[in-house]
Amino acid sequence: MQALDKALAQVGRVVLGKEEQLKLALTCMLANGHLLIEDLPGMGKTTLAHALARVFQLEYRRVQFTSDMLPADILGVSVFDPATQQFSLREGPVFTQLLLADEVNRATPKTQSALLEAMEERQVTLDGVTRDLPSPFFVVATQNPVDQAGTFVLPESQLDRFLMRISLGYPAPEVELDLLAGGDLREQVKSLGPVINSDGLVKLTRVVHKVRASHELLDYVQRLLDATRSDDRFVAGLSPRAGLGLLKASRAWALVSGRDYVLPEDVQAVWPSVAEHRLAARQGGSVSAITQSLLQSVPVVRR
Amino acid sequence: MRVYQVPSHTRLWLALAVVMASLPQLLRGPEWQALLLVVVVGIRWLVDRQRLSLPGRITRSLLLVVAVALTFYSFGRLYGPEAGVALLVSLFALKYLEVVRQRDAYVVVVLGYFVCATALLFAMTPLMFAYVLLCMTMLTTCLAGINHSDTRASRFRHLGRAGAMVLQAIPLTIALFILVPRVAPLWNMQLDSGKARTGMSDSMSPGEISDLSESSELAFRVAFEGAVPPPQERYWRGLTLTHYDGRTWQQGIPRGMTEADYLYTGGGNIPDWFQALRSARTAGQSYRYQVIAEPTQRRWLFALAVPFPDFRNEVGLARDMRLVADKPVSQRFAYQVESVPAARPAMALDGRERDLMLSLPPEAGGKARGLAQQWRLESTSDRAIVERALRHFRDNPFHYTLRPPRLVTDPVDDFLFRTRRGFCEHYASSFTFLMRAAGVPARVVVGYQGGERNELGDHLLIRQYDAHAWAEVWLQGQGWTRVDPTAAVAPERIELGLRGALQDSEEGTVLDNLELSSFAGSGVLGKLSQWADYVDFRWQTWVLGYDSAFQSAFLASVLGEVTPMRVGLALVLTVAGLLAVYALFLLWQAGQESLTVMEREYWRLHRKASDKGRPLPTGLTPQQLSHAIGEQWPRAASAATDWARYYQRLHYDPDHKPENKQIRHLRSLRNRLYKLLD
Repeated sequence: MQALDKALAQVGRVVLGKEEQLKLALTCMLANGHLLIEDLPGMGKTTLAHALARVFQLEYRRVQFTSDMLPADILGVSVFDPATQQFSLREGPVFTQLLLADEVNRATPKTQSALLEAMEERQVTLDGVTRDLPSPFFVVATQNPVDQAGTFVLPESQLDRFLMRISLGYPAPEVELDLLAGGDLREQVKSLGPVINSDGLVKLTRVVHKVRASHELLDYVQRLLDATRSDDRFVAGLSPRAGLGLLKASRAWALVSGRDYVLPEDVQAVWPSVAEHRLAARQGGSVSAITQSLLQSVPVVRR
Repeated sequence: MRVYQVPSHTRLWLALAVVMASLPQLLRGPEWQALLLVVVVGIRWLVDRQRLSLPGRITRSLLLVVAVALTFYSFGRLYGPEAGVALLVSLFALKYLEVVRQRDAYVVVVLGYFVCATALLFAMTPLMFAYVLLCMTMLTTCLAGINHSDTRASRFRHLGRAGAMVLQAIPLTIALFILVPRVAPLWNMQLDSGKARTGMSDSMSPGEISDLSESSELAFRVAFEGAVPPPQERYWRGLTLTHYDGRTWQQGIPRGMTEADYLYTGGGNIPDWFQALRSARTAGQSYRYQVIAEPTQRRWLFALAVPFPDFRNEVGLARDMRLVADKPVSQRFAYQVESVPAARPAMALDGRERDLMLSLPPEAGGKARGLAQQWRLESTSDRAIVERALRHFRDNPFHYTLRPPRLVTDPVDDFLFRTRRGFCEHYASSFTFLMRAAGVPARVVVGYQGGERNELGDHLLIRQYDAHAWAEVWLQGQGWTRVDPTAAVAPERIELGLRGALQDSEEGTVLDNLELSSFAGSGVLGKLSQWADYVDFRWQTWVLGYDSAFQSAFLASVLGEVTPMRVGLALVLTVAGLLAVYALFLLWQAGQESLTVMEREYWRLHRKASDKGRPLPTGLTPQQLSHAIGEQWPRAASAATDWARYYQRLHYDPDHKPENKQIRHLRSLRNRLYKLLD
């Protein structure tokens, strides 16, 4: 697992002072899940995505979403080739290993759905022809939580496609000082050497499945899920898919932490980023506060 | 066809239950019964190991005939409690011999419940009750085992299950005991009274009471309501002896009187003497108390003078101011008495009575008669003669001893003028003789004097060694007056009891073996025997004494008015309430998935830390719990971390299954941690 530590260290060189979020991002990738970063512009979202691509030697593309975007702009389009007298597919930007979908909430629901479907299915069907997306395939989408004018907010059901949601936030003062003192970030990202190639990453995602979870731990996960369902501060509880995601993310977190079995601490570490974006609070409650309170109240050991 | 055999894991229990249920009878009955059981259990053992085939029909029939014949030989009959129970136990053993199938085992178990209950016919002590309860648990264990089809079941699970069942049955039993209306027994069982018992006989000859003094057996207990008389007033009258043949004092009834003249049992037409006695009751202090008599097989009862019974329980009052039961006391028996210390001369001394109280055998005590007649001449009144006689005992070298020399020829003269060493009966006898010879009507009273107090139950305990004899004389204007010549010789006997009187003498050794059964015994043993007596006393008053009168009084205090409707309702509600409690418990248990050892370990520590420090949230991982502890008790931080590390390994690493050894280690870590939480 030294490779993982090294990867973290590498990315940490360009995204300063965000070890926790980096670890979550890495966990998300190892769990083979897509990541949603919710942040204001200029917080280092692009840098993070780019750095991850570099470190894992992934093919990387970036799409800036706008409201006039069509599904074809992402998935690709069939074009009639006069030379061959046939239609041929021109692949869209989605045919890549790591896609950064910037400001995904600016696109129309139609376009959003096209992307989300591709994320879920890991394949694209155009004109009746189905084509697999490359493997591995990760989407890092970003959302601007403040500037909501003219945006189409992703509903919770759509957000379910993202395994995790994180936000980077402002850097700490001393970290920001280092940032200001440092050189051009773009250049620095380019200087990052690969740690694991994409095949290695695929192997690691398989190792995640082998991280063991005891019956007692599964029991804890189940109790957490149950708690969201029986809590009337939420509009609805977590889905079974969310539960599977939570367990998978916990396994990946355990692996990143260098353990081959899952502890309740692992579940608690990934809990906010897995659960919060899938839940909606009734009447202006704070989802984050409620999910935190569940961690406090749900017994870790059965009683 | 499949034969449903008794599972092998139950056979041992069955053998044990059979032996335990029969044991009280084996200890009580003839020896051949024990032999029979040993043979039966031996055969069964061999049969179960397949070393022997089951005895055939002929052998078993033969055994049956032998058992019945032996029972008849030992008891002379096949009915009646003793013979009946003996026969039952023999048949029980033989039934056990032929157990093949499950069904046979059921019969043995059900029979066993009955057999062990018969033990209570002969001894209703708390100890026997506890033993019977144990037998019942054993038998229930067999039932649990027989019904367990899994051939590899653990023996001890049956025991645990049976124990739980018996415990659950206890509250219900108590409720039924208290509430189900008591009816008088449909049959009256008379147990054989032939067996020798320590206790007072209906006559007194030299040496009889001193024999009693070597027994520390319980004679009776007395529970006072209110004041307890001082030791020198504790004269428990049993019998008055009026007829003397020169050696032995016996009860006599004045010529021409019948028992009906002599005894009043309440109700009916009240005899003159009782009327007089009742009207002469002084307003002075009286003692109210309950006497719980041990079985004596005699009719007389013990009480302080002058006793007024409540005429319940078939207790009557005799003309000589003593209590009499209407039939021999064969079971423990309680009666209520009110004693008025001194009655004014209520009854005149009837002429025939007077003759009896002055009668003496013509040939006995020539020298003593001379002495008495000399006193008569020198004295002006009967009272002066009494004083003169007491002075005689005081001034001459009389000696109080447990081991008086044998009296030869004329016991009266021999004692008064030669040996001058005697026990209370010698003094009472010779004093009464002297009084009669001097023309003062006198009689001997035998009973008990003294009694030891049990602080726990606040009751008096009168033992056989408190047996005593004294005299009563008829004084003009005063009536029957108690005179204790022993008190003149050995005042300590009255003040301190037998032990006090003989403490310094060479006879102390005789009493050493009595020491154990006395509360005066030092330290733990004394306390223990006091407790044992207290338990026995409470058992007597609350359990055995819970008769229909007691029950209706108790129910009246709880229910107000006692009507069949109310009692029935109380019974139904209590039983329903208890069943509801059981049902709720079962529901709760079903809802409560039982926690694993590991889960309990976690919550124990969690509770402990929450109790000792600030309350902790429930959603703490083991590590967070250890951190919370470390924050509050820095001293315990490293121990807490050790615990958490070990715990999470055992609980969450699927490779580590917690075995007993690991759990013990975890516990030791937790205990170490406990010591640091202050």
